[in-house]
Amino acid sequence: MSKGLFKISPGFEDVMPAEYKELVNNGPYGKDLGVSDLGTFKELIEEHPLCAGCAEALALRLILASLPNSEDTVIVGSTGCSSLLFPQVAVQNIHSLFGNQNAVATGLKRALRLRFPDKVKDVLVIAGDGATVDIGLDMVMQSWFRRELITTIMLDNEVYANTGGQESGMSPQGAVLHMAPLGKKFPKVNLPEIAREAGCAYVATISPALPRRLGKVVRRAILVAREIGPSYVQIFCPCPTNFKWPSAQVLQKIRDRQKEGIFKVREYVSPEAEAYLAGLEVVKQHDEEQ
Amino acid sequence: MYVTVKVEVEKCNGCKLCVLSCPDPNVLAYKQEEKHVVVNEHRCKGCGLCATVCPEEALTVSGN
Ligand SMILES: Cc1ncc(C[n+]2csc(CCOP(=O)(O)OP(=O)(O)O)c2C)c(N)n1
Ligand code: SF4
Ligand code: SF4
Ligand code: SF4
Repeated sequence: MSKGLFKISPGFEDVMPAEYKELVNNGPYGKDLGVSDLGTFKELIEEHPLCAGCAEALALRLILASLPNSEDTVIVGSTGCSSLLFPQVAVQNIHSLFGNQNAVATGLKRALRLRFPDKVKDVLVIAGDGATVDIGLDMVMQSWFRRELITTIMLDNEVYANTGGQESGMSPQGAVLHMAPLGKKFPKVNLPEIAREAGCAYVATISPALPRRLGKVVRRAILVAREIGPSYVQIFCPCPTNFKWPSAQVLQKIRDRQKEGIFKVREYVSPEAEAYLAGLEVVKQHDEEQ
Repeated sequence: MYVTVKVEVEKCNGCKLCVLSCPDPNVLAYKQEEKHVVVNEHRCKGCGLCATVCPEEALTVSGN
């Protein structure tokens, strides 16, 4: 999208909805804003129907605030709690059939490169753990094997939340859920390790309990996928509703899990991606601010 | 029921942890000139996360 496109045409100021005017005047399009600036600008997301205290909603809000090029980004989503939020997002987005997100993103990225060879167009996949590690794993891994230049973000809420609480590949061992009363018999899938082995040039695990670091990780992942290779970010955002936690405690629960070593913050950067990132001013500037 | 978020402005140190921890957008904002956080209660779902993360105990959420 050209930066001029979202500007209101002269003479139409009166008839444009107040929300749109607010976004054009005070939103992040065309500005270099990030997570640290939240609370000072109009966000790319409106009110959404996700549960009170949802860690996935918090993760999504932080992701949207850290996009390096929001007006030229397309997000491919999948069915799940996050898909209820996308109708309220002011970034171009596509809803794909459950599990197909990386195949759709591949086609889209290739088409955008043909259609706009001189422009940077970021394609981002954002999907739940069920869509990524279970039903969509085939498409996810094949996109990595082919070295598609897309960023895959998994919202790891450790459950199929949107369908009432079945266990997913990312539910922790022993987890008893609404629709998995016997407790999960296998440990969490180690998808970050698989991603690295499958050819991702940048892999990171992070949680919204570290908001600034989450912003930095998402930005780095998107930049690496522009030039170097596929990138993968796994965001630990367990579902308070399905785990029956008081909503106010979700960040503390995340920190507890981190202390117990069950969840670890990790970053893998291939040597080529490292060299590329080191040469980018935009990353340096943001890293210094954090 | 309506949610109320009370900000004790004199306690706020401007760390913005509450702003960065709220799962809902455009609810909390930091007012640079006044040097404290403000709340748009119409958009708040009352989850209480902001009060939990505030190091100064400047926020009270009630009426969820
Ligand atoms: C092809 C297809 N299979 C199954 C479903 C049913 N379905 C809807 S949401 C969902 C679970 C999503 O779980 P996850 O990806 O972990 O996201 P969450 O809801 O936890 O955020 C399923 C199985 C569907 N919509 N489409
Ligand atoms: S069910 Fe869980 S993941 Fe889904 S919106 Fe509610 S808190 Fe978020
Ligand atoms: S109670 Fe929850 S929704 Fe309301 S301002 Fe605090 S963190 Fe945001
Ligand atoms: S967390 Fe507390 S001290 Fe920090 S900005 Fe918010 S209200 Fe102020």
